Amino acid sequence: MSLRLIIAVIVGKLAIYFSRIAGNQGTDFPGQLARKIYPDILTALAGHIQNGIIIVTGTNGKTTTSNMIAEIFRENASTYVHNRAGANMLTGITTAFIKATSLSGQRTFDYALLETDEANVPLLLQEVEATMLIITNFFRDQLDRYGELDHTINLIKNAVQGSRLELILNADDPLQSDFASHTGLKCWFYGFGDTIYDELTSADSREGRYCVFCGHVLSYERYHYAQLGQYHCPNCANHNAALNFTGHSLKMDPGIHFTINDLGLQSTYQGFYNAYNILAAVSVGKRLGINDDVIQRAIFNYQPRAGRMEKFMIAGKPCLLVLVKNPTGLNQSLSMLLLDPAEKSLFFALNDNAADGRDISWIWDADVETVARPEARISKIICSGQRSGDIALRIKYAGYSTDDIRIESRLQEGIALAIAEEGGTAFILCTYTALFSCRQIMLKMQKQSGGIAQTESRQQQKGGGE
Amino acid sequence: MTEKFVIAHMYPDLMNLYGDRGNLLCLQKRIRGYGYDCEIRQLSLNDLIDFPNIDMIFMGGGSDREQGLVYNDLLTKVENLLQEIENGLPALCICGAYQLLGQYYKAVDGTMLKGLGFFDLYTEGRPGRLIGNILIESEIDGQKTSVVGFENHGGRTYLCDKKLKPFGTVVRGHGNNGEDYSEGLWYKNLIGTYLHGPLLPKNPRIADFFIKAMAARRGLPITNILDDTIENFAHQQVKNKILPNIT
Ligand SMILES: [Zn+2]
Repeated sequence: MSLRLIIAVIVGKLAIYFSRIAGNQGTDFPGQLARKIYPDILTALAGHIQNGIIIVTGTNGKTTTSNMIAEIFRENASTYVHNRAGANMLTGITTAFIKATSLSGQRTFDYALLETDEANVPLLLQEVEATMLIITNFFRDQLDRYGELDHTINLIKNAVQGSRLELILNADDPLQSDFASHTGLKCWFYGFGDTIYDELTSADSREGRYCVFCGHVLSYERYHYAQLGQYHCPNCANHNAALNFTGHSLKMDPGIHFTINDLGLQSTYQGFYNAYNILAAVSVGKRLGINDDVIQRAIFNYQPRAGRMEKFMIAGKPCLLVLVKNPTGLNQSLSMLLLDPAEKSLFFALNDNAADGRDISWIWDADVETVARPEARISKIICSGQRSGDIALRIKYAGYSTDDIRIESRLQEGIALAIAEEGGTAFILCTYTALFSCRQIMLKMQKQSGGIAQTESRQQQKGGGE
Repeated sequence: MTEKFVIAHMYPDLMNLYGDRGNLLCLQKRIRGYGYDCEIRQLSLNDLIDFPNIDMIFMGGGSDREQGLVYNDLLTKVENLLQEIENGLPALCICGAYQLLGQYYKAVDGTMLKGLGFFDLYTEGRPGRLIGNILIESEIDGQKTSVVGFENHGGRTYLCDKKLKPFGTVVRGHGNNGEDYSEGLWYKNLIGTYLHGPLLPKNPRIADFFIKAMAARRGLPITNILDDTIENFAHQQVKNKILPNIT
């Protein structure tokens, strides 16, 4: 047992403590510091995981999926290490281990549940001996940070080769169809049978429309959600893999009800993409041999967390804080506006820090035209953040009246403008690095206005899952 | 009856990365602002280009595989297309489409992809993508103009023929190859460039360059002036970001 490791753990724990006092979330810095003192700290601490190290990756839904797996562990009385959403690079994952372990760094756990970005998977695999990799889906979102999607997927395929990983894959995502043959690893597939929500024509997303084996355009029998669906390649033998975990009898009223193999499930979550998240989480639970009753209870009890789609009451006005980070998520958030028949105001803070994606051109791939539809009934749109001009331009070219666009790059002033508007709800949309500030501003405004501390969070309909 | 401009969007299902379709939304809305109509005609593989009834060509970037499909299709149309460009047909080619105009694209692994050979330029892929906000200086109608965008490319493009004019000079960013401060290619009414963003909404003067060229070819006037307050604000915001110490 190395003294240096103990020092690294203690310093890391102190750093977590102090950054919390300083009001920071303190998710990356403690890990970074400890890794300087003891570079192999992650490998060392991961060595105390008894039953399995599980990595959750993919473009959308990995936070929700891993939170659901965590709930299954909790219900099962298993112990586990789990990194926080947003702290999913090596430093953040190291912090999670430091936080969970004892001062001597010797505490053991049943599982580690590690959520990480696609491009980070190879790095993570170099440091921990993972036993299972779950992929949610591949959508375009991190293109600007790592080059093209194809490249990122190849990185993962190459990184897992020769490992002892089991892969849990989405059979409905054509971009995952060559993982089994390419890696030679044991693969388990989850996916949906026919549902009453399927579309038989077109889909808005173009990812994965081409066969990964031969490049031919794929033929779809049905689309479940975006590019996820039943497909085959007219040019080669490529088609959906046979399912080990099949979702069927899906009903959304709007809560989710469906059956996986023969296990009935219910959730207060909404939206097809969340049904996929449940399906992925349950597949993991079943693969780990966890009891059906336990899984069923965990999914039933699982409640969405704060910060994803959070409701505030400010001066008598309901305000909804929504994180958006890619075209699919933005489309979902905007279509949610159409469900609210009252007049409303919209605030959109667009930042372009690394965690948001430096390239903001994705706003042009989303159907922002929704805001200009008369039934959306948006009285005013306030454009904010570091790239307030870009989002204002996008909204202008979506056909929304420029008379009703206001640019206020400062978050606090912008949110105040949205709330000062008459009419129903103020929708506060923002990208990742603006989320924390917007939330603090709204909490403060809520408190000052004497509004009840009604932070009833609702993840429903939230874009894309993250 | 309102005059209508037709813009051919080449291979929208194959070549559309990084919000490039925003360029078309921009052109369409501005043309309508100038009192004309605008149709975006989507052309896919094997579709014929009806040149006499096309006012402009737009083509975006795609992945290598998709670029290969497009190359084979374009080869069948090469003669006419080159002739039209010589005659002043406005064309905007972004990223992969720009690379296709040259002699060849040599990938990092040494694979050679032939280009259409319209211009004496070539592209070589190298490890390490050139990514980030970019500011260049260009000249429109004798007036210096700043152009902002976002570049993201692995290929380095070199203009061999010294008579070829780049789209602009790099102020901050990488441009064609990160070495010679050139960005893109400007030939008659064709612009080839690595600038995504998309390019045109934040650079209305470039958008208007194309629109004026289209109008001039049809003998139609552009008289009114559009309100570009938001465009200019967004342009300046990116510029301030790239050059934080200069106002
Ligand atoms: Zn195929």
